[in-house]
Amino acid sequence: MKILYSWLKEFVDTGLSAAQVQDALTMAGVEVSSCRFLGEGLDNVVVARILAQSRHPNADKLSVCRVTDGAAEFGIVCGAKNMKAGDVVALARIGAKLPNGVEIRKAKIRGEVSEGMLCSEMELRLSEESAGIIVLPPDTPVGKPLAEALGLSDWMLEVEITPNRGDCLSVLGVARELAAVTGEKVRLPSVEVRESGPAVADAASVTVTDPGLCPRYSARVLTGATIAPSPAWMQRRLALCGIRPINNIVDITNYLLLELGQPMHAFDLDRLEGGKIDVRRSGVGRKFTTLDGSERDILPEMLLIWDGKNPVAVAGVMGGQNTEVLDTTRRVLFESAHFSPASIRWTSRRLGLSSESSYRFERGVDPGGTMYAADRAVSLLSGFSPIEVARGTIDVGGGKDFLRTVRFRPGRAGRIIGREYPEKECREVFSRLEFPVKEEEKGTWSVTVLPHRFDIEREIDLVEEVARLTGFDKIPTTYPESGAPDFSPDDRFAKLLEDSSEYLRAQGLTQAINFSFVSEKEWSRHAALLAFDPADAIRLENPISDDTTMMRPHLLMGLLHNVASNVRRFVEDVRLFEVGKAFGKSLAEGHFEEPRLGFVLHGRRLPQNWSGGQAQVDFYDAKSIAESLLYFLGAAPFHFVPCSRRPFLESGKAAEILKDGEIVGWVGAVRRELEQALDIPGTVYFGEIRIAAATAAGRRAAQHRAAPKFPPVFRDFACVLPSHVPVGDVLAMVSGLSAEIESASVFDIYMGEKIGEGKKSAAFRVKIQPQDRTLTDNEVNSIHTKIVNLLENRFGGKIRTS
Amino acid sequence: MTDAADRVRELSEAGLRALSAARTESDLLEVKGRYFGKKGEISEILKTIASLAVEEKKRIGAAANEARGALESAFDARLAEIREKERQAREGRERIDVTLPGRGQAIGHRHPVSQTMADIVSIFQRLGFSVRGGPEIEKDYYNFEALNIPKDHPARDMQDTFYVGWPGGDLVLRTHTSPIQIRTMEAVRPPVRVIAPGAVYRCDSDVTHSPMFHQVEGFAVDRNATMADLKGLLTEFCRMMFGPDLPLRFRPSYFPFTEPSAEVDIRCVICRGGGCRVCKESGWLEILGSGMIDPSVFGFVGYDAEEHTGFAFGMGVERIAMLRHGINDIRLFFENDIRFLSQF
Repeated sequence: MKILYSWLKEFVDTGLSAAQVQDALTMAGVEVSSCRFLGEGLDNVVVARILAQSRHPNADKLSVCRVTDGAAEFGIVCGAKNMKAGDVVALARIGAKLPNGVEIRKAKIRGEVSEGMLCSEMELRLSEESAGIIVLPPDTPVGKPLAEALGLSDWMLEVEITPNRGDCLSVLGVARELAAVTGEKVRLPSVEVRESGPAVADAASVTVTDPGLCPRYSARVLTGATIAPSPAWMQRRLALCGIRPINNIVDITNYLLLELGQPMHAFDLDRLEGGKIDVRRSGVGRKFTTLDGSERDILPEMLLIWDGKNPVAVAGVMGGQNTEVLDTTRRVLFESAHFSPASIRWTSRRLGLSSESSYRFERGVDPGGTMYAADRAVSLLSGFSPIEVARGTIDVGGGKDFLRTVRFRPGRAGRIIGREYPEKECREVFSRLEFPVKEEEKGTWSVTVLPHRFDIEREIDLVEEVARLTGFDKIPTTYPESGAPDFSPDDRFAKLLEDSSEYLRAQGLTQAINFSFVSEKEWSRHAALLAFDPADAIRLENPISDDTTMMRPHLLMGLLHNVASNVRRFVEDVRLFEVGKAFGKSLAEGHFEEPRLGFVLHGRRLPQNWSGGQAQVDFYDAKSIAESLLYFLGAAPFHFVPCSRRPFLESGKAAEILKDGEIVGWVGAVRRELEQALDIPGTVYFGEIRIAAATAAGRRAAQHRAAPKFPPVFRDFACVLPSHVPVGDVLAMVSGLSAEIESASVFDIYMGEKIGEGKKSAAFRVKIQPQDRTLTDNEVNSIHTKIVNLLENRFGGKIRTS
Repeated sequence: MTDAADRVRELSEAGLRALSAARTESDLLEVKGRYFGKKGEISEILKTIASLAVEEKKRIGAAANEARGALESAFDARLAEIREKERQAREGRERIDVTLPGRGQAIGHRHPVSQTMADIVSIFQRLGFSVRGGPEIEKDYYNFEALNIPKDHPARDMQDTFYVGWPGGDLVLRTHTSPIQIRTMEAVRPPVRVIAPGAVYRCDSDVTHSPMFHQVEGFAVDRNATMADLKGLLTEFCRMMFGPDLPLRFRPSYFPFTEPSAEVDIRCVICRGGGCRVCKESGWLEILGSGMIDPSVFGFVGYDAEEHTGFAFGMGVERIAMLRHGINDIRLFFENDIRFLSQF
C-alpha cells in the first residue's frame, strides 16, 4: 500500500524524516519496503509555457513547439496531442535524467531539432497512467522547478500490511501505528458540516434487515451537488496512490478510503427507488451488474444493498451500475458502513471479485469510525464544491462503543518473551495505544481495546503489543533449557537418505530434484509402457500448467527427461539420482506416498579417460549400484529375480529386488520405446528403490565370529550350462551345499561358437573354509563331487576338463 | 721366496683395483670371493704361515687384517655406488607421467538445495533437535485449520494452495512444513524439539517462486521456552550458516500460528548493507519467519498454554541456497542440467 509522507504528517507529526519513519515502522512490524523521493529525477524538469505550436514538417503525428522556461526559448518535438499554445507544461531540459531512466539529450527527430521533452505524468512516475503530457493550471509560475510547483518534495512509502492489521490500510491507520511507536498523538482533522438542506429523514431512509452482517450503517445525504472535477491537489494524491481521479463525489469516497480506511459508496439518490436503502441477503440466486459493467452471479446468502425495489450494490464489494453517480447526478447518499469481515470475504471469494473496499472490509474496518468518515466526506467536499447537506445523519447500529476488554497479566508477558516487563513499561505501551487499563487484582489487568484493532482479542495479542512496541531488540538472547530430546524414527530415516545421497555421490552420481507433479497427458500417452492406470491418478484441481497435473506414480519419467535434456546439451555421460516421493492410490488409506530413491545411468561406464575404458554402461553397472547401496544401508539379505511385469523396463533386462518376500525395488534397461519417445540415443539403465520398505527391518549389529585358524581350499570348476540357467541360482545352491563352503563366485562367462548354440560356459571358484580343523583330501574331494553332481544333475551342466 | 707380507700387500692393491673396476653387484661379489672371501687368496696365504715363528705370524697376520679391512670398506663403498646407479637407472626407465588424470569414477554432485537443507538440519541436530517428516499430500485440517488459519481467513491469501482432487477428501499439497508441528504435537507430549525438512507446494512461478520448493521448519515446546530462547537459537543458527560476524535483526511480523511473530533479517550478504538489487536497497535479507506458538494451536493439539510455551521457525531452502551460491533464478534448481549441478 502506498502512503504519502506528507499526508501521514498531517495525522501525526513526529519530527522524523521519511527514512526514519520507514525504519521505525518496519521495526514495529509494519514493514515499509521502500521509501522513494518523489522529486527524484525531476532535477532538470521545470514549468514552461508553450509560445507557439506547429505541425512537424516531416511527420503527421508530431508537432514542434516553441516553449520558454522564462529565461530561454527551446524548440521541442512532441508526440502528444493534448496541448496548445499558451498552455503551461512540464519541460525536461537537456541533461535531465527522468525517474523512468530516460536521459534527455539534444536530438534531431525527423529533421527537426528537439532541445528537451514535454513530459507526461507517467514519464515522471506521478501516476500509473496518463493520456497525454501534463498541462498545468495557467497560473503556475513558469521557470519554477516542477517538483517545487507540484509539491513533490515528498516521499512515497510502500507499506506491506500483514493480513491481521486491516486497521493499518490507511493513512490514519499507519499514523496511529507511528504514534504508538513514537509516543506522539494522532491528530484527527476536525469536521464541520453545514447542514442547509431538508431533514435527512425526508430525503432517504435506511433499514438493516441483516444486522449480523452489517452491524453499523452510517450515511450522509447531499440534497444538492454539482458534479465537477476535484481540485488538483486531491487528484494528485489519488493519482500518486494509484487511483484514477473521476469526479468530486467519487474522488471524495476514494480519498477517504485511502485516508481513513473507510470504504464509502456514493449512490445517486434520485435513482434509489423510494429513496430507500435496505441491507439484506439476496435470498435467491440472481444476476446483478456491478459498476465495472460485469454481470455477476449472486448467491442467495450474499449480502446486498437494496433500494425500495432492486439490489443496488453488492455490500462492501462493489456498487451497481444502476445507481452509480453520473455527470447529471444532483442528490447523493454517502454510505459509510461496517460489514462483517467473514461475510465480505466469502462473497468476494465466491464472486472472484476483490476491490479496494472488500479488501479492507474482509480485514476489518473500524465500526467506531463510520459516522466520522461520512461527516469528513461532506465537510471536505464543502471546501471545494458547492453542496447542500441534508439536516441530520443516518446511523443504524450507531450509539454503541464497540469496545472490548481483554485480560492481561504483565507476568505472563515476561514468561512468554523471556524478559521482565515492569508494570510501568506495560502501562506506557497501552497508553500509547490509547487502551485504558484497569487493575482487576494484583498482577491481573483488564485492558480496553479500541474497535479498530480487530487483531486484539486475547491476552497473547496484548503480549505481542508489549513486546513489539518496546522493541524486539530489547529481548535478550538466551538458550533453551535442555529438556529431554524427542527421538523419532524419522531421525534414523533422514540419516539413511543423507548417507545414501553421499554414497551415490561418491559413486559418481549427481543429485537431481524433479517436481513431484507430472503431466498426465504424457503419462496417458505412454500409459501401457509406464504401467499407468488413469484410475490411480492423484490429480491436482488447480494445476499451474499442463505439465504438472498429477502426482508422479514413480520416479522414472522425471529422470528420463533429465537424461534427454542433458544429452541435448551435449553432456556425454549422465549419471543421476533422485530422492523423492511417489504417489498413488491405496485400498487402505485412499492414497499413499512413499519415499523412493531412483537413479539413471547413460553413456560410458567410466568418464572419458586415457586408459581405454570406453565401454558403455550396462545392466550390471546399474545392478551393482543398487546392490552396493542396499548393502550400504544394511538391507542385506536381499536377492534379484528376473522380472517381466514392469513394462517400462526391457523384460529380458530387468530384475526385481526381493527382501523378506517383499519387492523393495527394481532395476533394468529402460524400454526402447520410451527412449525413442524422448529422443534418447542408446540405452538408459534405471533403478528405483522403495527405501522405507528396504530398510524397514532396521540394521542389526553384526555378530562377531573368530577368524578361521585353518587354511582355506579353493576349487575351480569350468562348466558348460544350458544358456537359460540363472547363474545366480547356481551360486546360491552351491553355497548352500555344505557348511564348509564359505563362498562361491563366478569368474568367467563365455558364450559363442566354441560352446555351441543354447549353451554358455561358466567358471566358478569355490572357497572351502573349515572352522575347526584342516580338511583331509577325502573330505575336500567329497565336497568337490557334490558340486560336480549338482552342476550336472540339477542344472544340466557338463564339467569341462582342459 | 717373496715375503708373505709383501704378497698380501700386492693382493690388496690388486683387489682394490678390481673392486673399482667392477660394474655390477655380481662382479663385485666375484672380486670379493677371489681376494678376500673365506677361500680367497689372502686366506690361502694365511693358511701357509702356520709353521712360521710367532713374531713372523703376528706381522703377516696384521698385514692381512689391514688389507682385508681396506678391501671390505672399499667393497661396501663400491656396492653402495653400484646400487645407487642401478636405482637411478631403474627410476629413469620406469618413470611415468604423474600428471595424467587418475583412473576411475569421477565424483558426483549433491543438489545445492539438498545440500543446503542437509546443512541446516545438521546445525539444528547439533542443537538438540530431532528430525520429523510428514505427508506432502496433507489434510486441510493440518495444513490450515489446526494452524489457526480457518477457511475464508485472509491469511490463506498468503499461500496459493494446490488442491488435490479427491472426493470429499479435503486434501491439499502442503503449502509449508508447519503441519508437522501439529502431527508431532498430536503424537508426543512436551518437551519436544523438532526440525522438519521437506518439499512444499504453492501455485506460483517466476524467478523467485517455484510451484515446488523446500522448507525447513523447527519448533520446540517446553515449560519455559521463551522468545529470548528463540532469539538466541536463531542467532546461533544464522552465525553458523552465514558466518560469525553477520549482523541480524528480529522484526515483528505476522503468521497465523505464532504470536508474537518475528521475521529474522540478516545483513545482505551481497552488498553488506550498502544497498543492492538483491536486498531491494534495504541492506537486509529476510531469511526466517518465527515466533511463539499461538495458544490456539496448542488448543488444537490438547497442550495447555498456561503450562507450556513453545516457539517455531521456518525458512525457505531455495532462497538460502540462492544467496549462498549467487543463483538468481529459482527455476535453475529444477532443470537438472548437469552443467549447473556439477558446479556444487
